[in-house]
Amino acid sequence: MHGRIDQHQASGQGVGARLPRKEDDRLMRGRGQYVADIRLAGMQDVAFVRSPLAHARIRGIHVPEAYRDRVFTAADLVGVNPIRAVSGLPGFKISEQPVLATDKVRQVGELIAMCVAPTRAEAEDIAAAVVLDLEELPAVHDMLQARAPDAPLVHEHWGDNIFLETNFEVDISAALDAPIKVSREITTARQCMAPLEGRGVVASFDHRLDQLVVTTSAQMPHINRNGLAECLGMDQGRIRVISPDVGGGFGHKGILLPEEVCLSWLTMRLGHPVRWIEDRREHLIASANCREHHYKITLYADRDGKLRGIDCEATVDSGAYSSYPFSACLEAAQVASILPGPYVMPAYRCRTFSVATNKCPILPYRGVARTGVCFALELMLDLVAAEAGLEPSEVRLRNLVQPDQMPFDNITNKHFDSGDYPEAMRRALEAIDVEALRARQRRGEPDGRRIGLGVSIYCEQAAHGTSVYSGWGIPMVPGHEQATARLTPDGGLELRVGVHSHGQSMETTLAQVAHEMLGIDVGNVRIILGDTAMTPYSTGTWGSRCAVMAGGAVATACGDLGDRIKRIGAKLLQQDVADVELIDAEVRGPNGSVTLREIAHTWYRRPQDLPKDVDPGGLDVTSGYKPQRDSGTFSYAAHAAVVAVDPDLGAVEILDYVIVEDGGVLINPMVVDGQIFGGLAQGIGTALYEEMPFDGAGQPLATTFADYLLPGPTEVPAPRLDHMETPAPYTRFGVKGIGEGGAIAPPAAIANAVNDALRRCGAELMRSPITPHRVVEAVIAAQGAGRAAA
Amino acid sequence: MSTLALTVNRCAVDCRSEPRTSLADLVRDQLDLTGTHLGCEHGVCGACTVLIDGVPARSCITFAAACEGAAVTTIEGLDDDEIATELRAAFTREHALQCGYCTPGMLVSARDLVLRLPDADEHQIRIGMSGNLCRCTGYVGIVRAVMSVIAARRARGIQPVVGGGRAILGPAGSGHGAAKADLRVASPSAAASVTAPRPAAAIADFTPAAMIEQAFEVQHPPAQVAALFTDVAAVAACLPGVALTNAADPNRIEGEIRVQVGPIAAQFAGVARIERAADGLSGRIIGTGNDRRSRSSTQGEIRYRLKPLDAGRATRIDLTIGYTLTGLLAQVGRSGLVRDLARRLIDQFTGNLERKLSGQTVMPAGADQHLNGLALLLGLIRARLPRWLGGTTRR
Amino acid sequence: MKPAPFDYARPRDLSSALSLLGGNAGAKVMAGGQSLGPMLILRLAQPEQIVDITAIDELKQAEISGDELVLGACVTHADIEDGRVPDVSAGAMRSVAANIAYRAVRNRGTIGGSLSHADPAADWVSVLAALGARVTLRSVSASRQVSLSEFIVGALQSCLQPGELVAAIHIPKRSATAHWGYVKACRKTGEFAHGQCAALIDPDVGSARIVIGALDAAPVLIAKPAELFGGRVDADYKTRFDPRVADRLLNEAGVTDAVHRHIHLTVLKRALQEAA
Repeated sequence: MHGRIDQHQASGQGVGARLPRKEDDRLMRGRGQYVADIRLAGMQDVAFVRSPLAHARIRGIHVPEAYRDRVFTAADLVGVNPIRAVSGLPGFKISEQPVLATDKVRQVGELIAMCVAPTRAEAEDIAAAVVLDLEELPAVHDMLQARAPDAPLVHEHWGDNIFLETNFEVDISAALDAPIKVSREITTARQCMAPLEGRGVVASFDHRLDQLVVTTSAQMPHINRNGLAECLGMDQGRIRVISPDVGGGFGHKGILLPEEVCLSWLTMRLGHPVRWIEDRREHLIASANCREHHYKITLYADRDGKLRGIDCEATVDSGAYSSYPFSACLEAAQVASILPGPYVMPAYRCRTFSVATNKCPILPYRGVARTGVCFALELMLDLVAAEAGLEPSEVRLRNLVQPDQMPFDNITNKHFDSGDYPEAMRRALEAIDVEALRARQRRGEPDGRRIGLGVSIYCEQAAHGTSVYSGWGIPMVPGHEQATARLTPDGGLELRVGVHSHGQSMETTLAQVAHEMLGIDVGNVRIILGDTAMTPYSTGTWGSRCAVMAGGAVATACGDLGDRIKRIGAKLLQQDVADVELIDAEVRGPNGSVTLREIAHTWYRRPQDLPKDVDPGGLDVTSGYKPQRDSGTFSYAAHAAVVAVDPDLGAVEILDYVIVEDGGVLINPMVVDGQIFGGLAQGIGTALYEEMPFDGAGQPLATTFADYLLPGPTEVPAPRLDHMETPAPYTRFGVKGIGEGGAIAPPAAIANAVNDALRRCGAELMRSPITPHRVVEAVIAAQGAGRAAA
Repeated sequence: MSTLALTVNRCAVDCRSEPRTSLADLVRDQLDLTGTHLGCEHGVCGACTVLIDGVPARSCITFAAACEGAAVTTIEGLDDDEIATELRAAFTREHALQCGYCTPGMLVSARDLVLRLPDADEHQIRIGMSGNLCRCTGYVGIVRAVMSVIAARRARGIQPVVGGGRAILGPAGSGHGAAKADLRVASPSAAASVTAPRPAAAIADFTPAAMIEQAFEVQHPPAQVAALFTDVAAVAACLPGVALTNAADPNRIEGEIRVQVGPIAAQFAGVARIERAADGLSGRIIGTGNDRRSRSSTQGEIRYRLKPLDAGRATRIDLTIGYTLTGLLAQVGRSGLVRDLARRLIDQFTGNLERKLSGQTVMPAGADQHLNGLALLLGLIRARLPRWLGGTTRR
Repeated sequence: MKPAPFDYARPRDLSSALSLLGGNAGAKVMAGGQSLGPMLILRLAQPEQIVDITAIDELKQAEISGDELVLGACVTHADIEDGRVPDVSAGAMRSVAANIAYRAVRNRGTIGGSLSHADPAADWVSVLAALGARVTLRSVSASRQVSLSEFIVGALQSCLQPGELVAAIHIPKRSATAHWGYVKACRKTGEFAHGQCAALIDPDVGSARIVIGALDAAPVLIAKPAELFGGRVDADYKTRFDPRVADRLLNEAGVTDAVHRHIHLTVLKRALQEAA
């Protein structure tokens, strides 16, 4: 396998090549086609009437007489089923999310009516004229309060607000006598994924094919089709879902939207195309949110910093409804399975609660539960280090799984596949120069700011498949990933894959894989994705899986296609197939060579020249792929941050940032770097800027980008990046999934750095984001405590 | 609808648009120039940035009508532009885009920076690009790409252009059009045909989200002061902007309160009731109302407690005023602005109450002229309560 | 998010604009629209009519008149940043302008519009108050001049009467001996400030104009600035600054949250330190 890679690196296009992207040109000329760019004859716009209240009974919806035929409510949607995302985990309580609210609304922004007009502005005028008669009910917006016995109930018939409670325990009693015991409560804020493009749906009906066509900005078009068929009660064959260019996903577009169901119904009812384009206000207040965790956590360790165990109670605010297909419990259940991190952990107990509140449903966001888990665990490790009198990095080095233990099955039965975790940490420390940094801290800063160093390390299960997901029992279990490879009559290659690309550069990296297999110039490779009618079934793009799964599928399909090409080529060269090779898009034998173009021409245009026993499948192959072991690849990274904290203004500046990452073999290092840079920016957002606050009535308060702060160019430094490339043992080319990793470790590294900076003044921050107000508050509180002690 | 003439990507175009149509919607929906993207529609994210008269501007918060006669360049108009061509090459080399949604606005802003910035200073480039958000790249490639183009051009001896070449004053795009007749649009009549439902008969208790306490003293015995609080209409009328629609039942009144903060105007229609302790020395007024237009609702309560002072000759009045707000108006993130409005309203309320108890009818100094119910309030005061006399002191 | 419908007029001269405003209580002035635009789009503001004043040449002029600079209301932040207007502030206004929001916003956002919007976190509101600026307000029937501190009444609230608009801003020439300091604390570049202080201090004549902005309410012009420096403003003002007095003044101004007060106090301290 590796010999092959080396051979094609010479051409600069295969696996490992830093190839510029095929998709760039159209995007840079404004010729990308996002859902809002689609124009269909007769199309009208939809605006929704949404709930202004977090929890209310609907007493009436008053529609002005003039708009009776332009406004539709739940009463109109006869035969449309609510969205149900059930988990098979025992004890899971089912929520039914009506696509338009029926008797009750359970979150601000919940859909109540849809209004249709020739333009969005007019549709909004109609929406504004609809009058709601709502009886406000007590709302619960705090997940810990929601667990209390007297809390208002989001779903009355449940009797409580718990979607799911899980318990996991291994030998915790063995840890309880440890000499070091540190306990804290740690909180991560509710966030919005905020891709620059929001959601959007264009729905129309193709009478020729008797097909509903739903164009939607989505990561998983085949899964959306599953959900639409269930909600609409239609055969899958009568639904086509297209996802065009997508302006960023990050998990936000991995959900079946009630709006998709509504628009589908509406176009069939009205007989003309309709569209709804999510605006930023809708996105922030009404669409899915993410990341809100609370941990009550205790770490046990020996005096030398060796970890003895973790005891944790984790709560995740799942919002009002279980989102399709990942469900309301994936996040909390994942917390329990990954909290021990990349460490050897002898004892462990974790109890989790997925809690319903009167807020948007949560969705897995880049990193899913890992970002919160890394934040909680790595902040605690710094406290263990302080108790043990060790450098924080030393505690990590003493507890990380060692390279000679690989592959390693950890306490929650995660199978860490390969790598050298301590080496990643050592390289990061060397790059950041800990000694120089500590000396600088002792000197102090002329401007009065305080310098801090923080490290964090994680390992990330990615591209995990059937064996893992069948256990969750959610509506989606990934199986074999398929790809179709087809040679066109003039020798070009068409690849059809069911995953999608919304920034991940699949049009380039999958072409590189094809080049690796067939030697074809990437300029002659065309990638077709984002359309259920044109691609094989796939669970789509999520979980850092595309490079591993779609890359493997493309390699397999191209390999099979290559075999057929060689057989035809051998016949044309009048050689035995065993004597020919497929190199640089040519079949070469001892007596000469024949190009892909000539072979394709023969199959399509001159079949009379084909061998009698030619494979009738021709130059069109669909193959499937699954790694030898589908428990996932484990990429990992050590992050180190140096920050300067202004204790009087609370401002945090990132002075230096180092990432040492192991993503296995890299298909395109430039693309991998880009994923890590982008992940870091989102991690900085989680650490310092992004928060969706609510008031006491469950009203969301960050409803514009002036309130919900995304990091900009001055908030995100250029990190220093170092790669380790330990090939994954079970995947094609040794590739590991890395798409999410960049966003996992930064909040922990930055928070540890801030706490390191403020340690001497006694302040400690255990909640994200670390805002100026929270820093100053902690500093003032520490000063007060200091005075009180003196 | 009106006709609008402007130049887009060097072509003269005539469009018909409503005054409320943004420049972004105009180029996207009428000219099919969909490379201009909408990312926030409130001027923060920069995805919609285009050139207006050669300088970058937000097309989402610039109304098309305001660009009459202007020259607009969208990303599609930069296909052959020299700087944009260099930037595109640098962007692809440095992997400065992933999903591509922010890219057109990014390139428009970057082009302006390449034109104006004296040298390839990374910090200045980051500041200069800070009005364009990217969610994918972490800006690493973008900053490198812009730096490389600036460095290469300055190395070739191409000098920066101050102000991007703009020589006239005023907003970009302004000043071309001849004076326009006043454009009228048909207001949607149907909207007016539905009246907001009154809140239900029951006025529910609630937990206020915000509380403000005030106290003052008057030179009158508590019993006299207590008498005022039996007149709900009179007390309610001390709130600026209140207009009563039904005060027949002294324990339950209906009315409206109009509040305005800057360009935001809301009119809450609602009901209020009063509860009094047996001795009349304490009680509360509780009310609830809806603003139909913003789909916002508010609940408020005024708790009062009267304490005798100076051997029963004077009274100290303690007020605790609490309110909640839900809906669009509550979701304005900078809640401090709403708090300031509430504080000003309550200041005026207590001031008015104080003046009323003192028998003054003068217009309070510095009163907020925008609180349109004020005149009505003063009328009520004059009509109902002319005889309270005596000085007051604020605490 | 699209605005509610509104009528639109773009008069060519000030008197037409004033008569439109005078004749319609539901009319709202728009200049560059960079603050009003988002409010219209969010439907927070739903005026019956927009009177676009950017075609009025008179409002796009800048001239030195005697000892002051007179800027028309429609002069943009970028006009000031780029030096297209004369300067009487010894560069202070240029550097303030260059750090307002983002370039694309500055190319349309105007000084008069920013003041009329009266956002307490806006730069000009505090800066011009510290520079001792006055504004000319015009209506059909009258013209009056008020100081900046009289002009801003509260958050988003100016003293503009119905039918009235800001026509011009008068900025007095900064004395050669005066020091200028301006600091704002923002969570990120270009965003609303959460701490802001502008200080114009002339030790030679013992005067100081110190304005604390970015409060929830109108900016505070410190009435007796000498108190901050132990009773007098002189060459040693930086070392004699007494933060306890400033803390008390902030408390009296309604900044009761200790954290907010600490941040405002720090910004004030730094504006004074930076003053030159």
